[in-house]
Amino acid sequence: MHEALHRVLHRLPGVTPGGSSLHRHLLLWLLLPQLVLWLAGAFFTYNLTARYANQAIDAALSTASRALARQVKPIGNGLFIDFPRAAQDIIEADPDDRVYYMVSTPPGQFILGNHRLPAPPPIDAPVLGQPYFYDGAMGEADAGLQVRVAALYLSYGEADTPQTMLVQVARSRASREQLARRILFDTALPLSVVIALMSMIVWAGIRAGLAPLARMRALVEGRAPNDLAPLELESAPREVHALAKAINTLLAEVHESVSGQRRFISDAAHQLRTPLAGLKSQTELALNEASEAAGPALRTRLQRVHESATRSAHLVNQLLTLARAEPESAAAQAKSRVDLRRLAGELTAEWVPRARQAGIDLGFEEDGTSPTPAVQGNALLLREAIANLIDNAIRYTGRGASVTVRVRSLGPDAQIEVEDDGPGIAPADRERVFERFARATLQGDGCGLGLAIVKEIAERHGGRVALEGAAPRGLRVLLRLPRLAA
Amino acid sequence: MKLLLAEDDLILADALSASLSKAGFEVEVAPNGAVAEFLLLKQHFDIGVLDLGLPMVDGLTVLKRVRAAKPALPMLVLTALDGLEHRVAGLNAGADDYLTKPFDFPELEARIRALLRRSRGAGGGAAQQFGKLGFDRDARRATLHGAPIELSPREWMLLDLLLTQRDRVVTKDQIAESWAVERSESGSGSIEVYIHRLRRKLEGSGLAIRTVRGLGYLLEEGEG
Repeated sequence: MHEALHRVLHRLPGVTPGGSSLHRHLLLWLLLPQLVLWLAGAFFTYNLTARYANQAIDAALSTASRALARQVKPIGNGLFIDFPRAAQDIIEADPDDRVYYMVSTPPGQFILGNHRLPAPPPIDAPVLGQPYFYDGAMGEADAGLQVRVAALYLSYGEADTPQTMLVQVARSRASREQLARRILFDTALPLSVVIALMSMIVWAGIRAGLAPLARMRALVEGRAPNDLAPLELESAPREVHALAKAINTLLAEVHESVSGQRRFISDAAHQLRTPLAGLKSQTELALNEASEAAGPALRTRLQRVHESATRSAHLVNQLLTLARAEPESAAAQAKSRVDLRRLAGELTAEWVPRARQAGIDLGFEEDGTSPTPAVQGNALLLREAIANLIDNAIRYTGRGASVTVRVRSLGPDAQIEVEDDGPGIAPADRERVFERFARATLQGDGCGLGLAIVKEIAERHGGRVALEGAAPRGLRVLLRLPRLAA
Repeated sequence: MKLLLAEDDLILADALSASLSKAGFEVEVAPNGAVAEFLLLKQHFDIGVLDLGLPMVDGLTVLKRVRAAKPALPMLVLTALDGLEHRVAGLNAGADDYLTKPFDFPELEARIRALLRRSRGAGGGAAQQFGKLGFDRDARRATLHGAPIELSPREWMLLDLLLTQRDRVVTKDQIAESWAVERSESGSGSIEVYIHRLRRKLEGSGLAIRTVRGLGYLLEEGEG
């Protein structure tokens, strides 16, 4: 409950920065009016009870004042008061609920009772025989006691010379307020509990109502940017279903357009391969024949054509690999357990003849003691990644260099290292070379896609690739992938 | 050496047949699958080089039919497609090797020669000459400058393996495996020791056994 409250607080405006929340909106709309209504209700109840309490007291005061007035009998122009001591005692007996009285003949002629009673509000022509009620405070001697007073004007004396007599009876307001407070308390307390319960129910209701939205959010948030499969929301209300459907339609369209594009790239690359093979073979042949017949100028030209054809062929292959490594198609490819030690060993062996042609000493090192560096992945893509690392090292290190492929398990990961003692890459350029078509050097005949491909494949497998300098010179490329438990 | 080249791209077919002829092969070109199938079944060839994307009858079908009729004929597949699935399909259908377009001609030639070597090796094969080294599997005899060299059974198997896989890495596992299969020689001795002995015996042959760090050995021409 505490935690839930905390969460509610966090959703209130001002507590959490950011855009409007449906949850907060609903909560405000439901709870704020409820609170206002509750306050208004409490105010109204208090006033109502106070009025009824006043009415009851006023009725008693009215009766008392009339009774007192009856005891005052006019004799000629004077007044005879027949007020037995016993009755006086009864009236003034209760110490908590004191009753005071005063009989006077205005203006200000005190006759009987307690002269400290507050004076009635000035009235020009008081109606006789009709009690007036007012609130007031007793004098200093009674500690400023708050009282309710009934004032009754009566006339006495001869009919031709009427005189006015004022009878006042006061009662402390303490009892009245006590009564009102008790009534208020008795109604407000259950009401508060009801309000608290209502708030909880409303909060829970909003939560339950918005749960499908939260689930949808989790679904969307939790997916990889490449995952264009439709959202699956079961048992969601109509409104959320409509939203999910709209998103799914959009996803399907994006999926369609993305895969169309990929298919095109892949088809184009396939279609380019045969003519490129023809071009390469023809130039190779022409080069061989030119060496016998033509001059060195023509031979140089042919050499350039051949180089260009070779580069185009390499580029087409790399583009195709990249298209395959991209999320859309990578997701569709089967994954299996791949032993990197074996794969890297085989690949290195495959590359040795090419490395020897380039005058490079290519070797392999494995850490036989660590657990098998196996990963869950697509063997073809991993093969391309490692091949690209070896190819890069051979392409850019130069004759006489040595390149070493290492495989080992490192904590929860499997790591492939390709280290060379070539010129290396300046630290400033090390981030940039992972971008497509970015090249750190103009040497060599690479197309600038190698490391981009490696990075793409590493990411498809939840891994990463990094460059670091090797001592005393050279470059070390680290490909790290999460290892599969044996 | 008769070779059938089945390739529908005329420019590529033209260049390949010219290059292969120069390399000493007697080349026959088939422009579609039907012709390729007919020629391979009716005539004698030492090796077939097949494009998978052939018109009329596709390469995989040709491969399967020819393989059924002539199980020993070496076949190399060329393709513009790649990917593990295609590779597996090609090898399952009976291809001995697989090359993705575009390729370097020396690569193609090396693969063709390796396949021919393997098929001859398996079929007994005649005496071969590698530089100044003569190697006769039938007679189980090796000569240097015409003079016989003494080879223990293990040394013989090692040299055989290195020659068959010339210019390719022979791993220590492969060597150990070949020895374990024959089990003809008792006694132990590490691979390094045998390589060392073989190197000494091959001195002056024009062949060199290179050590490939962490992997194994590789036999290549050139002094070393």
